Amino acid sequence: MTNPLAPWRPTAGDPFDLRKVGHLLRRAGFAAPLGVRKRLVRGGLDAALAFVAPRTAAVAPADERLEDVVAFGKIERLRAFRAWLLLESAHPLRERLSYFWHGHFATSNQKVQDPRAMAHQLATFDRLGVGRFDELVRAICRDPAMLRWLDNDVNTKRQPNENFARELFELFTLGRGHYTEVDIREAARAFSGWHVRDGRFRLLGHLHDGGSKTVFGTTGKLGGDDIVRLCVERAESARFLARKWLRFFVHPDPEPGEVEALATVYRREGRDVGATLLTLFRSRLFFSAPAYRSKIKSPAEFVIGTVRLLGGRGKPAHLARVMGSLGEVLCEPPSVEGWHGERAWLSPASWLLRSNFVADLLAGRRGGLSVDPRKLFGRLERPEHRVRAATNMLLDGEIDAAARGRLVELASAQSGSDHRAACELLHAVACLPEFQLC
Amino acid sequence: MNRRTFLSGAAMSPFAMRLAQAGEPTVGWLPRGDDKVLVVLELVGGNDGLNTVLPVEDAAFARARPRLSVVRKGAHALERGLALHPALGKLHRRTKSGGLAVVTGVGYPEPDRSHFRSRDIWHTADPTHQKVENDTTGWLGRAADQLAAAGAGVPAAAVGGLEVPLALRARRVTVPSLERVEDFQWLAAGGSGPVARGAAVRGVVGDVERSAKSSDLARFVGEVARSGAALADDLQQALKRYTPRAEYPATKLARDLQLTAQLAVAGFGTRLVHVALTGFDTHARQLPTHAGLLRQLDGALDAFLADLGKHGFGDRVTVLVHSEFGRRVRENASQGTDHGAAGPVFVAGGAVRGGLIGAVPDLGDLDDGDLVAEVDFRRVYTSLLTWLGADSQAVLGRAFEPLALFAK
Repeated sequence: MTNPLAPWRPTAGDPFDLRKVGHLLRRAGFAAPLGVRKRLVRGGLDAALAFVAPRTAAVAPADERLEDVVAFGKIERLRAFRAWLLLESAHPLRERLSYFWHGHFATSNQKVQDPRAMAHQLATFDRLGVGRFDELVRAICRDPAMLRWLDNDVNTKRQPNENFARELFELFTLGRGHYTEVDIREAARAFSGWHVRDGRFRLLGHLHDGGSKTVFGTTGKLGGDDIVRLCVERAESARFLARKWLRFFVHPDPEPGEVEALATVYRREGRDVGATLLTLFRSRLFFSAPAYRSKIKSPAEFVIGTVRLLGGRGKPAHLARVMGSLGEVLCEPPSVEGWHGERAWLSPASWLLRSNFVADLLAGRRGGLSVDPRKLFGRLERPEHRVRAATNMLLDGEIDAAARGRLVELASAQSGSDHRAACELLHAVACLPEFQLC
Repeated sequence: MNRRTFLSGAAMSPFAMRLAQAGEPTVGWLPRGDDKVLVVLELVGGNDGLNTVLPVEDAAFARARPRLSVVRKGAHALERGLALHPALGKLHRRTKSGGLAVVTGVGYPEPDRSHFRSRDIWHTADPTHQKVENDTTGWLGRAADQLAAAGAGVPAAAVGGLEVPLALRARRVTVPSLERVEDFQWLAAGGSGPVARGAAVRGVVGDVERSAKSSDLARFVGEVARSGAALADDLQQALKRYTPRAEYPATKLARDLQLTAQLAVAGFGTRLVHVALTGFDTHARQLPTHAGLLRQLDGALDAFLADLGKHGFGDRVTVLVHSEFGRRVRENASQGTDHGAAGPVFVAGGAVRGGLIGAVPDLGDLDDGDLVAEVDFRRVYTSLLTWLGADSQAVLGRAFEPLALFAK
């Protein structure tokens, strides 16, 4: 059996084209305007990956703006800031991974009640999300928002609280069925006294249980970092992450062989998340037909992606609110399991809201939404050309003959101003089922 | 197929099918027997309860309000020495014929005389809540979270074009603020307004033939999209087909209540509605202002109840009329009244047992010049939530003894 993660190579019959670059940018980032995509097609896969994960220092996390947001202390402001980061996508893979980790280490401000702490947690994802997984987990174990969210700030030697330890195993590193209740109880003791004081992490020695513990058969005076090491070193942890990444980045139903292959890459890369994913993004599996359009766009993918595809603009606060109305309120995941996603994202009512968002964007209504009409079609006149431009812009130019026929019919029948006709055509393309797919 | 499967993503619109089959649509095609609607009509600013439900036979009333108590002439007698303000003639008739309950002395312990704080308390149903945070929820929002089926229409709405009030802030469901029916449109991208009947984009969304050849996922999206477009169309149609069966006065409140009636009758899954009537902060020259507001309330609410009754929705809709506080017992030097405490609420609807509930206000036993609350407002909420089919304890955080508001 061939390795599903063997690198994909372009051939004359299967070139690196708009479809592939569109797929890559939707999965590894939040899409990009047609001009960028065309340039990346010319540059090839290496150029596209360098775009997705640039190495320059110029794309350090936006720390200055973060300070502003933190000083303001409002959760709406933080949401707008996060929407802005996605919209800018200075480092697409980093923004993508921060978005992923926000759903993975799903923490809600509803309980934390501290926008600053939430902002710092998200900044930790920005800083460490592309790096080594164990380093990220160690940081999260010291994250004030997380400690409050999962009640570790009341976990003491005398009254251990297992909430954090349980989710660390079940949702963050291993998955159900790969630990015992005794492991959880012992791990909870190792995290006792890991508290928050004055908004910062503090290990309070007098509340910490320094005694001997046994976790996964290892006995000793284990502390929190020992537990993290024991977790991430387990083979099941690699598989657990590989499965989740395959679901998030490739397709919703990965095969065991694919999971094993990605887990192997992850271990070989020394648990380096970015390196693991770049191998994935080069693979045949990633560009395979079953992966293409196999997921429903999340509200963030839809809202941010649509604005970026059209090279448009929108006030970040408005975009964050629209995402919220579509069921994705940043910093308020429904539970520690994160958002359920996939088909749960879409209902008739939310489809209507998605369609109306595109209409508002095209028509330049509300929330600073706008697209530059000149960027839409230029002077294209023949209906076939206009349809090609519209589908290239929104759908990688990938559309079956039946839909293309309908769109050409629509474009042929159009009268009225160029801009209005362009809006109508693009809206129709955005109303195709394919546009809801990622 | 029932409404829920329709709203949760089924391909065809049963309403359209019904229309096609039945010709004349029966309004009330949707709500199942238990689909009840609670409308909260808030009198913003602090309604003067004593001049709304007047203790006409209490000499202390005329003594405390030498000027304002003149409205007792022409007031509509209830029972036990109480009477409704002269402007509330229509609602008074409803207390007699059933369908309108007057509950006196409603409030909460340690009353707060700040508009904002007291409104927050009524909206959150939490007198201990000190600070409203971004994620603070309201009692109606919590009920909506509980009652809303996934993806179903608009489970709760603020009608009237104001901001969504704190009462409707929810965790799970999205609560829109609606001023006009047009808010439910499927918007066209070119120009303004909805996607036209014959617009080509409809062909793209409704392409069943193409959908059949698509991937499973694309087919799912295609079905959802068709339902979404149908949802907008259905609602527009249903709202259009709604014709008022009562004459509404030409007031803002009447317009808001008529839109509420449209929503209820259209069966969009809307279970909770908040409507506001502002202007009750009558510190000076109160008589004409207050009478005008009560007349507005009387006309609009009466028309609303009559309309719903004639649509066969009378006992599925209950209206709570409340204010953040009553006003001081003693009138001030400007022929007005200042911020007070407990006051009456009205509960109206076909399911409501009409008449007077609660004690006659005791003007001899005041707390710092204010009436003492005899009935915790959360007892009223409890009865309403229970009637609605919600778990009142989950919404309010604890159990309260319900009031006998509803006829069994």
